Amino acid sequence: MGQYRQRDRVTLPLQHRHTPTFGRRLASLSEGPAWPYLLLLPSLVLVFVAIIYPTFTGIDFSFRQMRLNRMDLSTGYNWFRNYELLWQDPVFWLSLKNTVVWVLATALLELALGMLAALALDYELPGFRVLAVIVLLPWFMPVVVAGNIWALLLDFRVGLINAILVNIGVLDDYKAWLADPAWAMPAAILVEAWHGFPFFALLLLAGLKGVPDALYEAAAVDGASLWHRFVHIQLPSLRTIIVASVVLRAISLMNAPDLLLVLTDGGPGRSTEVLSLYAFQKAYREFNFGYAGALSVVMFLLLMVASFLYVRASNVLKEA
Amino acid sequence: MAMRHSLAERTGAYVIASGFAIFAAFPLLWTLLTSLKIERDIIARGIRLLPSPATLANYVSVWTQSNLPALMWNSTVTAALTVITCVAAGTLASYSVSRQRFRGRPQFLLFYLVLRMFPLVLMVIPLFVILRAVGLLDTRTGLALAYTGFQLPIFIWMMKGFFDVIPGELEEAAYIDGCTRLGAMWLVVLPLVRGGLFSCAVFIGIGAWNEYLFALMLTTSVGSRTWPVGLQLMVGEFQLPWGTLCAGGVLSILPVLALFAFVQRTMVRGLAAGAVKG
Repeated sequence: MGQYRQRDRVTLPLQHRHTPTFGRRLASLSEGPAWPYLLLLPSLVLVFVAIIYPTFTGIDFSFRQMRLNRMDLSTGYNWFRNYELLWQDPVFWLSLKNTVVWVLATALLELALGMLAALALDYELPGFRVLAVIVLLPWFMPVVVAGNIWALLLDFRVGLINAILVNIGVLDDYKAWLADPAWAMPAAILVEAWHGFPFFALLLLAGLKGVPDALYEAAAVDGASLWHRFVHIQLPSLRTIIVASVVLRAISLMNAPDLLLVLTDGGPGRSTEVLSLYAFQKAYREFNFGYAGALSVVMFLLLMVASFLYVRASNVLKEA
Repeated sequence: MAMRHSLAERTGAYVIASGFAIFAAFPLLWTLLTSLKIERDIIARGIRLLPSPATLANYVSVWTQSNLPALMWNSTVTAALTVITCVAAGTLASYSVSRQRFRGRPQFLLFYLVLRMFPLVLMVIPLFVILRAVGLLDTRTGLALAYTGFQLPIFIWMMKGFFDVIPGELEEAAYIDGCTRLGAMWLVVLPLVRGGLFSCAVFIGIGAWNEYLFALMLTTSVGSRTWPVGLQLMVGEFQLPWGTLCAGGVLSILPVLALFAFVQRTMVRGLAAGAVKG
């Protein structure tokens, strides 16, 4: 019924050619060569307003003195002054180093966890569909909740993890994981791995589903062990997905400082300071938009290299 | 894998899969348990799993004594605006790059892909200045506009996965029947991707509901502040007790869990298709 009414609305104007309604105009427009571009237009306007323009404004900021809490200072161009300061800033180099550790360690840990989870879930035994959904949950958890609940679990007075480790004799006494410069980064990596491993589990499981059964059967006939099956069948089939998902995840890890902002705020000291967090703090706390802009531009360049690798590795446009 | 496995192999798979499910779910379960405990039990040392006595006092206090209801309303409005804009503009764009043949199509696809990799920090800093200049700083509309920007490319790529699997013959048949291209899109193709569209909308909605960084930078007053910012402020400034914090956490993830449970199967397909095309 609804279908017929809708059909009438679109075809009727074609029959009554003398009444140029909006629907008819749109319908005849859709026959023209500009139609695909017209469909793209709203989204192009939006991404221009919300991404392209701000990004170029940000690049512009990086060449200016922009300290919004210092009304006495001008916001004129100081060209490469911000970049010079950045080059001499030990915190920049430290956060660059921390970024590399943070991104690589987290992405690889997540890949390992996600791979193991996907390999197990691929058995499709009774109940596994429910387990697969549960495994996905952390990926959809807000960082504010994820960060705080792990802060509670790791707390040095009441944390359950401390209680368990003391109980089984691994620790002598409760430890302030997130306040210890040596342990804050590993603890944050663990939390982010919890949050992010479902992403890998999801993609790798989808990849494993695509492995033809004939390959497994042939391997079974040859009496291949689990390890051989993994190395010679599953791993090669997943190669593209592994490379693409690692790069994609590395990009988002480099990009988003949310969890560290909630969990450690870069501390203790600067032990968990990463580039994105440092840039955000410079803007949010010190209103030094010029310097924050310069830091973000450096990140932008790093990210563009990573996304170039992603496009190359994933063959994402091969059949597009 | 659809084949027979030995008992040992199946047991191993069960142990590992259940282990991961526990690892994934336990922190959430712990939030729930903590939210039901009295303060004395929470700050007690040692392992105390179940709340005894169980209490709802934390929920009452976070709902009545903080501005969580107002914060959650702001999040709802912001998420709704984001979803509506993304669905309207993104569906058209995704349809275009998936089902139309035109010059520059691969370039448009690449463009939307690379947009996903722009650094958020590089956007959020100028957005503060731009939104302030046009009077949209500290408004839900301004925040939703910012969200639309970085969610739209993801939405377009996810929806493309759903559009791509529809056979092209369907539209050709419609053209032969005298349908215009608009008619074929609206009457033939769009009804077929309804499920995918809904799950992508949910994905965008959850993203907007959860988002913290942009909200922190772009909202400053109670009139537009979203719940993640408000909750984190309470933690920082008022030393929120753990029980109350957990109750707030549970309340704010309930909508996420409900929506996720509702669409998880279609959404999983869309995510896999949109993230990596292997």
